Amino acid sequence: MSAVGEPLIVVESLHRHYTVGGEVVRALDGVSFGITRGEWVAIVGQSGSGKSTLMNVLGCLDTPTSGTYRLNGADVQGLTDDQLASLRNKEIGFVFQTFQLLPRATALGNVMLPLVYRGVPKRQRRAMAEEALAAVGLTNRLNHRPNELSGGQRQRVAIARALVGQPSMLLADEPTGNLDSATGEEIIRLFSELHHRGHTILLVTHEPKLAARCPRAIRLMDGHVVADGAGAAVAGLGTSAPVPA
Amino acid sequence: MKALAAARRILAETLEGAQIAAENLVAARLRSFLTTLGIVIGVMTVIAIVAIIQGLNKSFEGQIATLGAHTLYVSKWAWFAEGRDAWWELRNRKDLGAKELQAVEREATLATAIAPMAMTQADLKRDTFEAPNVQLIGTNAQYLTTGGGTVGAGRFLAETDVELTRSTAVIGADVADRLFPGLQPGQVLGRKLMIGEVPFQVVGVMERRGQLLGMNMDANAMVPYTAFLRHFGGKRSLNLAVSGEPDNLSALEDQVVEILRRVRRVPPEKKDDFTLNRQEQFLRTYNQLTGSLYAVAFGVGLITLIVGGIGIMNIMIVSVTERTREIGVRRALGARRTTILLQFLVESSIVAAIGGAIGTALGLGLAQVVALASPLAATVSASAVALGIGFSAAVGLVFGSWPAWRAARLDPVEALRHE
Repeated sequence: MSAVGEPLIVVESLHRHYTVGGEVVRALDGVSFGITRGEWVAIVGQSGSGKSTLMNVLGCLDTPTSGTYRLNGADVQGLTDDQLASLRNKEIGFVFQTFQLLPRATALGNVMLPLVYRGVPKRQRRAMAEEALAAVGLTNRLNHRPNELSGGQRQRVAIARALVGQPSMLLADEPTGNLDSATGEEIIRLFSELHHRGHTILLVTHEPKLAARCPRAIRLMDGHVVADGAGAAVAGLGTSAPVPA
Repeated sequence: MKALAAARRILAETLEGAQIAAENLVAARLRSFLTTLGIVIGVMTVIAIVAIIQGLNKSFEGQIATLGAHTLYVSKWAWFAEGRDAWWELRNRKDLGAKELQAVEREATLATAIAPMAMTQADLKRDTFEAPNVQLIGTNAQYLTTGGGTVGAGRFLAETDVELTRSTAVIGADVADRLFPGLQPGQVLGRKLMIGEVPFQVVGVMERRGQLLGMNMDANAMVPYTAFLRHFGGKRSLNLAVSGEPDNLSALEDQVVEILRRVRRVPPEKKDDFTLNRQEQFLRTYNQLTGSLYAVAFGVGLITLIVGGIGIMNIMIVSVTERTREIGVRRALGARRTTILLQFLVESSIVAAIGGAIGTALGLGLAQVVALASPLAATVSASAVALGIGFSAAVGLVFGSWPAWRAARLDPVEALRHE
């Protein structure tokens, strides 16, 4: 990984339009911002604000209708499906609200999966997965299947899976949404710890409380960035007075 | 290095696919079983049929070899007559007799052995022991060379037995067992027996030959044809077994035809009034028969495999739908479309191959049951087993490709959102 401070994400007048029933929906309507390496940024907004679409585009699961998205210096526009897959594999660690672990695989198996798609030799896969699970405090749960783990533990496995390939950023979509508040707090502390270790984290959430914990937050509304600033400020500002991006 | 990493990735993905397939098989045992049932039944049927055909082939080829590959069997009868009037036509032909035998013996320069064969059914007796319905053959010393088997004990008929019209007999292994139970073949030599009402002396016992097309080749007795004609009717039509060198068998055939046409005064415009039967005619007819059996097996197999393939396609579509979210997760983690395609193809071909393996095992079992319960033999070559399993896997591949393609085409965003 390169040094902290270098620009990792550059988004310029990003548009993502859908056609639903003959009507054009502008899910993203000219979004621009930049994120530097090592930042912990919350993307907040109500449902329908476009934050899920933004997450999909930033996660290289979806491509913008227009505008540019540069990830780690590479223009994502115009990449083939295979190139996008390889980019997701190397640059992005996904953490989902519902954990999205494979039910029949052990914790270790789940964490090794991204490395399978990278062609890492088995022994090395295992060592890296064990290390990632140790980093989230699950050394003694390597061979447990998801249904033998608590919600918090499952999310830790998911975070280990996101971390194992040493991606440029973690992309977490409502990571505490399915957890009780105590466990959610645990996970947020884990993110905070990862942030301090230098990881870049994008956290998509609709909870102002969570956004307030992040050093920086970007608020979306109707496909526009309406606020971008310190997490607490953006979370507390509501929707009325946007801070210039 | 890049190529190596790609190769390793594809290998790892294939293994991963196999592992997923195994997990799914175990997780849904009943469903997997029902899925593969079509394939199992199809492969079982084909393997059983093929096993029986191959068993037949093997025993048939072994049996046919005893007929003598280089021998023409000249007869008024044809082994394989065709047409409605054929029997009557054959029936009305002139008998073959001593005249024909002598002519062939005198003029067939290409022949290496010539044996007459006068045949009838006879009851053999010794004291209270009986051997009914024995194939009695009146022949000469050259019978052995034309493919009549080998002598197990004692000697075969000699030239002098024929010349002097001696009442000597060489008996088949079964006849020896029936008339002289408990005695070794060697102990039978010199003993007397009755053929019909005529006493004969045993001079030899034949080696056991087994069956030919369900005919017992050991329930026979050979006597000098001169003695046969004297005691059991001189009006019988003779058959001639004429052996030649393998290389000029057709020249021999022409020579024999020429001799017989002349001796029997067949006008040039008429067809032969005798038949030269060949061992290979058996093979030809037999191969036609098994050929159609193979065709039936192939047809049955094809239909059931298509049915089985549709079953697999059906279950794979269900599987893809059920695991849509999983596909989305895999795509998010960096799986390519081809990765997903490969995963489902590996799964469908493994399911089908397992079905094929089970079907093969059951088919072999079925063939063994048939072999035990009937006179049919059953053998299976390794290639048939490999073909059964390989073909099933191919069916899995073909019928799994559409569901796999659908899985690969899924949009990752949609797939992740799937409930």
